[in-house]
Parts: sequence; C-alpha cells; structure tokens
Amino acid sequence: MSDLDRAIAQLRACRPIPEAEVRELCHKARELLIEEGNVVTVNAPVTICGDIHGQFHDLMELFRVGGDVPDTNYLFMGDFVDRGFYSLETFLLLLCLKVRYPDRMTLIRGNHESRQITTVYGFYDECLRKYGSANVWRYCCDVFDYLALGAIVLGASNTLPSASGQPVSPLSGDEVEIEVHNSDGQVISRFLRQQKDSGRINTTLPNGTAATLPNGLTTPPTTSSSSSPTAPPNLTGPPGSGASASSAGSLGNPAGAVLCVHGGLSPLIDKVDKIRLLDRKQEVPHEGAMCDLLWSDPDEIDGWGLSPRGAGFLFGADIVKVFNHRNDLSLIARAHQLVMEGFKEMFDASIVTVWSAPNYCYRCGNVAALLELSEDESGLGVLARSNGDVGRSDGGGGGAGVLGDLLGAGGRSGPARRYRVFQAAPQDSRGMPAKKPVADYFL
Amino acid sequence: MDPPSHLEPYPSPSHLTLATRTHTQPPFTISTRKLPILKAGPIDALAARVGIPIPEMIFGDNLVTVAHPSSGWSISFSAERALDTVDKTGEAGMLSVAYAREWSSSREKTSAGIKEVVRPFDWSYSASYRGDEVRAATAAAGPGAGKGLEKVGEGGNGIPLELLKRRDPILFADEVVLYESELDDNGISVMSVKVRVMEQRMLLLCRLFMRLDGVVVRVRDTRVYVDFDKQVVIREYTAREDVFENVKRNLYMSGLMPDAITIALRDSNQVANLLPVVENSLESVCLAPNP
Repeated sequence: MSDLDRAIAQLRACRPIPEAEVRELCHKARELLIEEGNVVTVNAPVTICGDIHGQFHDLMELFRVGGDVPDTNYLFMGDFVDRGFYSLETFLLLLCLKVRYPDRMTLIRGNHESRQITTVYGFYDECLRKYGSANVWRYCCDVFDYLALGAIVLGASNTLPSASGQPVSPLSGDEVEIEVHNSDGQVISRFLRQQKDSGRINTTLPNGTAATLPNGLTTPPTTSSSSSPTAPPNLTGPPGSGASASSAGSLGNPAGAVLCVHGGLSPLIDKVDKIRLLDRKQEVPHEGAMCDLLWSDPDEIDGWGLSPRGAGFLFGADIVKVFNHRNDLSLIARAHQLVMEGFKEMFDASIVTVWSAPNYCYRCGNVAALLELSEDESGLGVLARSNGDVGRSDGGGGGAGVLGDLLGAGGRSGPARRYRVFQAAPQDSRGMPAKKPVADYFL
Repeated sequence: MDPPSHLEPYPSPSHLTLATRTHTQPPFTISTRKLPILKAGPIDALAARVGIPIPEMIFGDNLVTVAHPSSGWSISFSAERALDTVDKTGEAGMLSVAYAREWSSSREKTSAGIKEVVRPFDWSYSASYRGDEVRAATAAAGPGAGKGLEKVGEGGNGIPLELLKRRDPILFADEVVLYESELDDNGISVMSVKVRVMEQRMLLLCRLFMRLDGVVVRVRDTRVYVDFDKQVVIREYTAREDVFENVKRNLYMSGLMPDAITIALRDSNQVANLLPVVENSLESVCLAPNP
C-alpha cells in the first residue's frame, strides 16, 4: 500500500493526516493542478456535485449513492470547506483522490476556496484547532489558488442508459430526458423530452408511492406511458423526489457541451475561451471575471442586474440562452446556492443549480443531489452541429418552439440528466456525541 | 406513526402537530414547532406574500407561542411575520458590503451598462420584530377582557433580571430558528427564538443578530417575561448597533487575541453587550382575572 493509499484510508475514516503529509500532498496537488487549464475538459460519463461544506459524513454518503472513486468519474464544483465540522478531512480526502486518480476526479474552485472567506467561515479555525498552527490552512490555501475555474463536459449523451438493477422502463430510453432517483437507486420520477404529445409521466415506487413531476406542459402523456401507472398530478412526492423541484424538459436534440462553474456567468465573459485567458493563480479577487464566475447568481430578471448588496451580478434567462447558444452549450451546471430539493433547473433547463450538502449546517433538513451525465455512444452527440435543428422534433407545435422564438436559432438541447437525490448520513455514522441539552440560563 | 422527520417535502397539518412541543405551566402554555427549511414552492408563495426575496435558510413552518388560554391572550413568533417587518423598498437606506466601492469602481469601465439594482430592499433582513400579540378576547366577560400589552411608564417594572439569574430548574427549554441568511458570505443575519420555563417564571428571547463583515453589527432583542403566579407578562424590545470596527476594537480591548475575536464575532452573546443601545421599549400586561 502506497503512502497515498494509506492517507486515503485514514482520511476515509475521518482522521486527519500528519502535517508533513499534508504538506507533501499539497505540493503534489499543486504540481498536478498547475498543468490544468482554467477550464478543464472532462469527458462523459461524469457525476457532477455541488457544495459540500465540510460535511464529511455526507460526502461518504454521496460516494455511496454515486459510486466510489475511481469507479465513478467525479466533478466537484467547489465549496468543499467551511461551515461543516470536517472541512479539513473533506478537502484533504478529495485532494488525495485527485492526486491518486487525476483523470477520475475534477475539482473546481468555489468562492469559499479563498483565504479571506475561510478565515471567517470556519476552515481556518478548524485547522488551527486540529493542528495547533495555521500551517495546514496555508498549504491548503496555496492549493486553492491553483484550482480550475470551470470545466467543460464533452460527449454527454442525450439518452439515459438503463441503470443497473432498474426495472425496464416502458419507454424507449431516448424519450426520457430527466430521471430522478432516490438514494437507493429507485426511480422516483421521469421527464420526457418535450415533444408534441409527450408530457409528464408518473412512476410508481415498489412501495406504491406515486410521484409526479411537473414539466411545464399541460398536454397529457399519450406515449406508451399508458402502460405505466398514472396518478393525479400532485406535488407531494416521496422524500427527496424533487417533486417540487423546478424542472422542465427541453427540446430533443443532440447534446451540446456542459459548462460547469461554481457561481455563474460574468458580463466580461461572452466566450468560454475568455475564461481560459484569465490569470487564475491568485486569491479570489473582488474585481473582474474570476470573481463573477465564483459569485454570481441566476435570477428571474432580464439581462444583467446588480445585487442590492452593492457587489455581485445577477443574470437572467436571456443571458444564459445567448451564452449557451454562442458557445454551443446545452447546459450550465453551477452550485453556490442552497436548494431544498437538491437541484433546481431554471430558464427552460438551460442552467441547473446542484447542491450536495444534505441537512446543510446540520439543521436545514434539505436533501442533496448529484447530477449524472452519461456517455454518448452513438457517435453523434456533441459532434453534431445543431444549426437549424432546433424545433425539428416538435413538429413546430406546442410550447417547445419558445426557445427558437427567443433566439432565432436556439441553443442546444439538454443532455439526458439523472439526478440522484440523497439525505444526510445517519447521525450514528458521524461519531459525534448526540447533542446533550445543556441548561442555558440565557438572559 | 413515526415522528416527523426532515424527509417529508410538505408538512401536513398532522406533521405540524407532531413537530410541536407543548408545555403547560398553568395558567400559561408554551409551544415550539421545528421543521426543515421550506421547499421551492412554499418559498415562492412566501416571497409573493411578503414582497421581498426570502433568506436562503427559511424555517417558514417554525413557530413559538406563549398563550394564556383562559383569557385568549397569546404572543407568537414566526418567520413570515418577522420578515414582514423588514424594509421592503430600501428607502430607509440600504447597506452595502464592505468591498462594494472597490467592486463597482473596478467595473465602471468594463460593465458600465449594468447599473440597475435588482429589487432594492433591506437585504440584511434587519427585522425589528416584537412578535405577534393576540389580545385577550373581548367576548370573554370579566375584568381581563380585551387586555393586551401596554407601554410601561417611567419607573414601571422591567424584567426582573436577578430572579432570572437564579439557577431554578428549567422545566422546558427550546431554541427555534426562524430564518438565517449568510448575506452572500458577507456575514450573517439570523432570527431565532430561545425559551426557558422555570416553575414560577419563564423567559423568551427573540433575537436578530446581523453582522455585515467590515460594516456593522446589530442585535435586536425582544424579551418576553412571564410571571406565572401573578399572570404578568412583560415585553422589552432593545435594539443595539455599532460599526464593525468599534465592535472589533472593543473585543480587542476586552483582552481577546485576533483569532478569538473572529470567533467572538460569530457569537451574538459575546458581542451584544458591547453594542450601544439605540432603541428600547417596555410593555406589560396583567392577565389575572382580579388584579
């Protein structure tokens, strides 16, 4: 067993590794990361994850649900540290896995991977407490400066392969655009690609609970879904079904590339290639595109707006659609914002927020999600040009033409997406003493 | 039936009941309800009702109530009503994050077209919330009819701190968060309610703690004190505020090292007393049938 494997084993048990080993690990990681571009190219299949925030035991749960490294190819969109109790073990484990399996693990930078933010939100204190000095924090911050700012996923399929152990869907795979699974791998819901006659379908879990998802269309399903049990539309799905998640199908078309970034877009970046030109090897600045990529948020506005906080951009649907079209993207995946349902698709599924910290801060009670993009095996997919293809599959009818109307030409349609929704690891797996109530004589 | 877990997407009325702890200390009942943060649907509905964007950690189903059933009087604390007291237009003067000037000046040349502030409002969620009082029922005949909290004049009785400092056994205690925002990683704004019930008296503290890093620190406390024997309720509202640098300096002067100061700034208990009082009011009511 190599030193690295031993360190991985130790960190998996949630035990920190000695300072000297951290130093060596960070050194190796930096050598590796310095070779990566600002925008890393990742080939599907890949599993995309959002904020972790030091919730180590929930990261273990994530690996259980999503598959272990290196069997599963992971892309983490930043915010590994702060707020949770185990930022150190979380980040070091991810970093070890990155060094051990560089092609199976992609880490991009979140706004919390910064000296200033970690000083305020806990990671600094945690390092100080666990090592008695700030050295380890400094080593980690040096690594933060080298993390990529984004990733482009290529070769994602627009069809979902059948998940192992799943009952065969009554629908042919290419009609399903979105599938939501619970943490046991059961399908809780499916979305059909928006076609003339297809809409929402319902699935039934083995326990008989029906789940329904809205897809924004009112047309009833007329495809072979008649063979699947239907239930009246309702939004009270089973735990973590995403039954109230904002989610909508998009046009059926070969999948374009997927841009992954922690926060969002920047008014200074109209082409992905401009991200590649940034000098990223620094503390996250307050000015410029690098800051925006890690901090900005989508919002229900037209164009760009300023946050009322006096710093930070907000961007609307039109911005995302134009950006995706210009860059031949089918989807932007980002993190940065807590969503109770674990994921939230916005703007006709042109952007999705993925959140991977269940029961955030150990008290929000939210579920988490990860996003799986499968590999395109048809030889078409990302290589096919989309020009003129938009709307072809919907026969020009229904609401599916909205994209084309908006843009004249339209962006790429979404890749097939499988969300796995999961909950916090059981309390007893945390090795934390149950909170014992202390008499608080507050005044 | 299983206890309510955080798994249910929508708490049904029965879950609301199951998530509620009630303690009766005659003639008062105290109840607290704790559930997960709201889902997307209810958040949108709440935002529409309140008229401002909702903080990301919104415990919209949480509730704390102190009631005097025999008269019909009660006071309760909920996130929706708390958020309703937040400045919704930003006209009262909006705060900016510490680096706002630096941020915007560096963008004047490159992003000049983007000037519109989206939905100005008090995004620091500095609510001045004192709880929602339901006055004693007027229908119930008797001397207590229609009674409610009234301003206490000069020299009137405040909350008896000395009695509350006694280590009387606590029969019921809870802490309920109503909302929390990380202010986009610029600090914290959290509204929470703590309650402790002893045999003869109880204290409720509803506190807003708002720290905008590098700018300002606010603590706005509503205390509700109940004397069960005399059936007297006292409510005191105290708003405290100081600029961030002063708070930091005062913590330093109290002997804390820089690292300890960072930690202290996260703890409202460590900073509250360092902040000067900017507003204070005192009200009380006696709900006894024959005072």
